[in-house]
Amino acid sequence: MSRSKRIDVLNARPVNQDGFIDEWPEKGFIAMKSPYDPKPSITIRDGVIVELDGKKREDFDFIDQFIADYAIRIDRAEASMEISSLEIARMLVDIRVSRKEILKVVSGITPAKMVEVINELNVVEMMMAMQKMRARKTPANQAHITNLKDDPAQIAADAAEGALRGFREEETTMSTARYAPFNAIALLIGAQAGRRGVLTQCSSEEATELELGIRGFTTYAETISVYGTEQVFVDGDDTPYSKAFLNAAYASRGLKTRFTSGAGSEVLMGNAEQKSMLYLECRCLYVTKGGGSQGIQNGSVSCIGIPASVPSGIREVLGENLVAAMLGLECASSNDQSFSHSDMRRTARTMLQFMPGTDFIFSGYAGEPNYDNMFAGSNFDAEDFDDYNVLQRDMQVDGGLRPVTEEDVIAVRNKAARAVQAVFRYLGLTEITDEQVEAVTYAHGSKDTLPRDAAADLIAVEEMMNRGVTGIDIVKALDESGFSDVAESILSMLKQRVVGDYMQTSAILDTDFHVMSGVNLPNDYMGPGTGYRVSGERWEEIKAIPHRIDPNQF
Amino acid sequence: MEINEQLIKQITEIVVKQINGQESGNPHPQNPKTSYEGYPQAHKGTDPKEVVIGVGPAFQREIKHTINGLDLKDVLKNIEAGIEEEGMVPRVVKILKTSDVCFMGLEAAKLSGSGVGIGLQSKGTAVIHQKDLYPLSNLELFPQAPLMTLESYRKIGANAAKYGKGEKVTPMEGRNDPMVRASYQVKAALMHIKETEQVDKNIPYIEWAEV
Repeated sequence: MSRSKRIDVLNARPVNQDGFIDEWPEKGFIAMKSPYDPKPSITIRDGVIVELDGKKREDFDFIDQFIADYAIRIDRAEASMEISSLEIARMLVDIRVSRKEILKVVSGITPAKMVEVINELNVVEMMMAMQKMRARKTPANQAHITNLKDDPAQIAADAAEGALRGFREEETTMSTARYAPFNAIALLIGAQAGRRGVLTQCSSEEATELELGIRGFTTYAETISVYGTEQVFVDGDDTPYSKAFLNAAYASRGLKTRFTSGAGSEVLMGNAEQKSMLYLECRCLYVTKGGGSQGIQNGSVSCIGIPASVPSGIREVLGENLVAAMLGLECASSNDQSFSHSDMRRTARTMLQFMPGTDFIFSGYAGEPNYDNMFAGSNFDAEDFDDYNVLQRDMQVDGGLRPVTEEDVIAVRNKAARAVQAVFRYLGLTEITDEQVEAVTYAHGSKDTLPRDAAADLIAVEEMMNRGVTGIDIVKALDESGFSDVAESILSMLKQRVVGDYMQTSAILDTDFHVMSGVNLPNDYMGPGTGYRVSGERWEEIKAIPHRIDPNQF
Repeated sequence: MEINEQLIKQITEIVVKQINGQESGNPHPQNPKTSYEGYPQAHKGTDPKEVVIGVGPAFQREIKHTINGLDLKDVLKNIEAGIEEEGMVPRVVKILKTSDVCFMGLEAAKLSGSGVGIGLQSKGTAVIHQKDLYPLSNLELFPQAPLMTLESYRKIGANAAKYGKGEKVTPMEGRNDPMVRASYQVKAALMHIKETEQVDKNIPYIEWAEV
């Protein structure tokens, strides 16, 4: 057969390097509706759920039992289950039905019923529903701040720039896991040096992450992972009960916390029990709700290659974000992992959360070039900042970011790097040289920075942890090194843990450390003329992209 | 036509495969599970110079190459060579109770005389672990199997040996390709499913000499 030049061109397109596979429900490669998914049902006897989605209580696994006991409003279940799934789906897109009303109905439905509701919606309807169901009135954005060298000066500089650009949460993780405390400290300092009130966290092994939080090196936690099948929980030495306990441990220390879950994790771990990704994710979200968490990071997250490989998979991802919002959870809606070689495809995927707005559209956006992103690459990175700003301006959508000037970028990067240098010196940690500070100030990524002695850093990390250094020591170090404004900001962040208001659903802080959450700033969208509209100062900020033509120049 | 034992075995396999496929109406028949009953259970080492490599349940049987096509025999040889170059002694066990790389690495570390072990999934994902760490913590983790080379496996062996000796170790420089997920995640899932099918909770680990 002679080859078609047209087909040759198409074969070479980036999208054809992505992984696609046919539906295979036996192994869980099915997005929204598996022939093995259960039918919705509930039976309540003496105030106890004795049958759930076709399974009798004596046959429950621990996820079923946890959901039955803690995640469904038994007093509302019978009435809610009476309403058809189609009717609930219609309520979601009906502007005359309020978010509150829907939250009430949904609090009494089972996971299988939730799956039915979502299956009634196309993506535009899901976006309409998300616009209404998002907990906080204003959307926000989260960044990843990482680099290949775990260079603390670069983390601080990127954190400061990210904060300046508008991210209200920043998350780090490590190239080498044992760097965790250094990364957490550098992020904490850098974020506050960039713009006040940014929440920071360090994604690490659960016990380590908890310790970092208790010490005051982080101001929220996100890496409490839950799964949709019992076997995957067991493989991780965990149960829904242990996750709820961990959540309570954070709460006892006044730290904002959210769980993490997403489509495809059970497939990747080889135990999907033939169920659809949406059904398993619904189970995760009910566990999250039952565990008392205020929110979730979901939308497949690091497993995005799996739903993205099957038909209707990207629709499913938005569907699961919506389920989170319907359960009243804060939704940090992923978009945080590269999954496609195609710029067209990766942008389209993000528009589903960008246009309606979610509590955090990304969780997070790579605040560095993707080669430095130690979450193995985000869907958008530092090289996309201007594209993203233009998208906000084109559509008058608030995606949580804003244009910045080069002078400001350089200034905050330098200040952050110097602040972390001063803290390292004060605490007697490894040296950050002036040359390193200079390099990260002007760097794009770790290819532009100087090497670090990783072995010496890791010894210093261990020694610092053994010495019992806490967030207060960092405040002191900053204050006595001439960075009293940054010290003040970090102290204000630590105070939040005593006040506790930022543990409410979907809480972020403004630059005066005031909480904005789903409680004091609830989403009140009910069609045109209501809800959050981009206007005033914020609109002016979004409009002011660089590279505008100045008519006076002609 | 010559009928020998091998031919009969082949025909039987084909027939069994077809029956399995038809019965479940499943276009993807399952691999028959390998039984390791009667294999000697791996022992706990006492030699402080020992570094144990814990390989995955499907290693060198159901899966013979890593996700980027490296022969598992060569992978193992290079890790062992890395360990030996540092004057330590490698031992290979096959972990059957789990297919999770961190838990595999921790089991290997607990069986290791030095307390340091390496977990190695059949798809090529590796971890250096130590017996007293949390399961999901590690000394060094190499999560992006498609980027691994025989040279990097050799360095993993060498670094594990250095940890075993209690030396100050510079971790291997991280490698990162943000497009790995887009290219490989489906393949990774398929390989991990294959590996997980071979998990046997009743036989936690066995000595593995198949190199």
